[in-house]
Amino acid sequence: MSKDNQNNVYEFAQSRRVEGLLESTLGDNGIPSRPAILDRVHIEMDKEEPDFNLLARIISADVALAGGLISIANSPYFGFHARVRSVNEALMILGLDVACRAIAGLILRKLFPITLALERFWDASAGIARISGWLAQHPDMGIKISANDAYTYGLFRDCGIAVLLHRFPYYHDILAQANAEKTLNFNQVEEIQCPTNHSVIGSLLAQSWWLPEEIYTAILIHHEYSILQKSDSTVLPPATRGLIAIAQLAEHIFQHHTGLSKSQEWFKSSEVCMQLLEIKEDQLQGFYEESAPILAKYDY
Amino acid sequence: MQETQIDPATGFLDRYSCLQLASDLVDQVGGNGKSLAVLWIDIDRFKQINESFGYEGGDSVISFVADRLREKIIGNAQICRVGADEFVCLIPDYDIDNAEKLGIEFMRAIEPPLIMGDFRIRLTASIGIAILEPEETSAEFLERADWSKITAKKEGGNRYIISGNELVPSHMGIIQAREDLEVEYLLHTALDTGGLQLHYQPILGFNGNVLSVEGLMRCTVNGKNIPPARFFPVAEKSGLVVRLGEWSLLQGTRQAKLLSKLGLNTTVSINVSRGQLADARFSQALYAAIILADVDPGLIELELSESVFLDTSTVIQTNLRTARNIGVRLAIDNFGSGFSCFANLKDIPATKLKLGRAFIMALPEDNRSLSVVKAMVQLGKDLGMTVIAEGVETKEQMESLRELYVDGIQGYYYAKPMDVEALSSWLQYREHS
Repeated sequence: MSKDNQNNVYEFAQSRRVEGLLESTLGDNGIPSRPAILDRVHIEMDKEEPDFNLLARIISADVALAGGLISIANSPYFGFHARVRSVNEALMILGLDVACRAIAGLILRKLFPITLALERFWDASAGIARISGWLAQHPDMGIKISANDAYTYGLFRDCGIAVLLHRFPYYHDILAQANAEKTLNFNQVEEIQCPTNHSVIGSLLAQSWWLPEEIYTAILIHHEYSILQKSDSTVLPPATRGLIAIAQLAEHIFQHHTGLSKSQEWFKSSEVCMQLLEIKEDQLQGFYEESAPILAKYDY
Repeated sequence: MQETQIDPATGFLDRYSCLQLASDLVDQVGGNGKSLAVLWIDIDRFKQINESFGYEGGDSVISFVADRLREKIIGNAQICRVGADEFVCLIPDYDIDNAEKLGIEFMRAIEPPLIMGDFRIRLTASIGIAILEPEETSAEFLERADWSKITAKKEGGNRYIISGNELVPSHMGIIQAREDLEVEYLLHTALDTGGLQLHYQPILGFNGNVLSVEGLMRCTVNGKNIPPARFFPVAEKSGLVVRLGEWSLLQGTRQAKLLSKLGLNTTVSINVSRGQLADARFSQALYAAIILADVDPGLIELELSESVFLDTSTVIQTNLRTARNIGVRLAIDNFGSGFSCFANLKDIPATKLKLGRAFIMALPEDNRSLSVVKAMVQLGKDLGMTVIAEGVETKEQMESLRELYVDGIQGYYYAKPMDVEALSSWLQYREHS
């Protein structure tokens, strides 16, 4: 092509700049590319005066998303007295940051076709997220973590498993082996049969969906318990260590209550997690009892 | 005499005890000719934090900062809290080089974001550094560090200044270190706020086919463009290159998928540095990005310099082997620059050879360059590689490369690097015309 033709190309390019042209071609087969709505929320978050009405209009266009967001704002977990009745109110109550993560969680779940295995997987993630958020606010926890971060992390920690289950039917077997493994690291079991693991996938997905650094770092290394013991905060920020430990305890409590998603991870990690959270073995019974109402109204 | 007092929020000595300690240390080392260093650390924008989160929030932040500083101190160093947001670190037997290194370590330790409710706060500090001079009193010594700290603050914060060096231009190393910290901060901001972009430059065959597009990273923060030549070395030094690399893998694989959905099975080339390949997780991240984009691995190509291919480290070689095993293509970038060696080519598992612009620029007039390019093309082809010429800017260069049987060319003569939307339009225009 000559230089003259280049000018034509750029004129053509200007006339055909269609926002989201390429973006819209993704996602039709369950590919979890970052939804345009998250970009929109981020753009508004960066403004001095975010346009909540505009966001509410965009979110309200999707009934499931709007309903999900209102339901999250009204959940006892947030403890707000007033009942939220609209997307706009939900955005005001939750704040854009929390709303953005809640939207990410809702869309993530929607992206995968509903199969029994995935449905149970997301139910477990939601249960672990709720207990994580509750634990973060528990006075006995010796580490300070934002409850919202703990909730988000619990929800997203294992999203790489959903991607692998969706993409590779044989991953069911790998997952069963990894869950039963008492000695090897969970990721090592995956890597015997796959060139990657769910932690790396989950971390990249979280990065591309704008989740904060502490969260996607915690997703990346959540099976590497030896790193949790190192105290150097430049190796691993305290918030990241805390997220991993809290979600691990939450998973253990969830398994205690439901008998679902049984794995050997608490067996491998309980010592370092309890040390980080500054709790003792004999306190666990109390956590089981106190946390029962959190899961009681959900049928697992 | 008042007893040593501890600041309850941080566990450090308080202001009074700091003055007492400085006086004692100056007396001790002043007499025996040993050195004594002081770093005066002031948290930037702390007033804003107090106003936003109240004094309780401010105390939590100070307590976090104190923990991070504590983890960095070594040996007989002592840290004191001398103000709401100010700390003094005194270290006997410490020279200026070590003090400077510690200053940088403190700045890095403070930087990781703190969580305050729903907010993430990224803190920075201004630090003044001084080494005790002969005959100096403890008050004069501390005052010099304080003055350097104030100067650092006046210059915009997020920097350290060594006493006496405030305006001395000969300390280029220090200036460079400060500028590097600034660039590192901007890169963090770019990663967190969407300031990075991949622009794509097409590579075309002589029949007009688009053979591939090369992703080139661009960084813009607050409207300011940071050139790759400036931010890549900083990313390599700080370890941020792994995050930048993961980001470009995500973007590049996604772009390849988008193009294939448009019916264009165009390979997307992604530049990969030694720092990325030296990370044991590189090949896992590569495969994860491919899975997430649901793209054919054969549409992804990694561009690496010749020296990276020849690096014998186990991690790098394992990453390269895994990349090939999963079906990703490898290309030798910018061949002919630096200390390239023809003999090495036979050992490199690449399928594409890209000739650097240094040779192409001299074409077609310079006969010696012409001979070298001819030899490189021949050798590349004999080894079964596709040979591409980079930096093609004129019709004459293009024609001489065609006569040398180069497979494809890249450069401003055909197309500049362009953003995703412009690339889409460019490709569709070509389809239509």
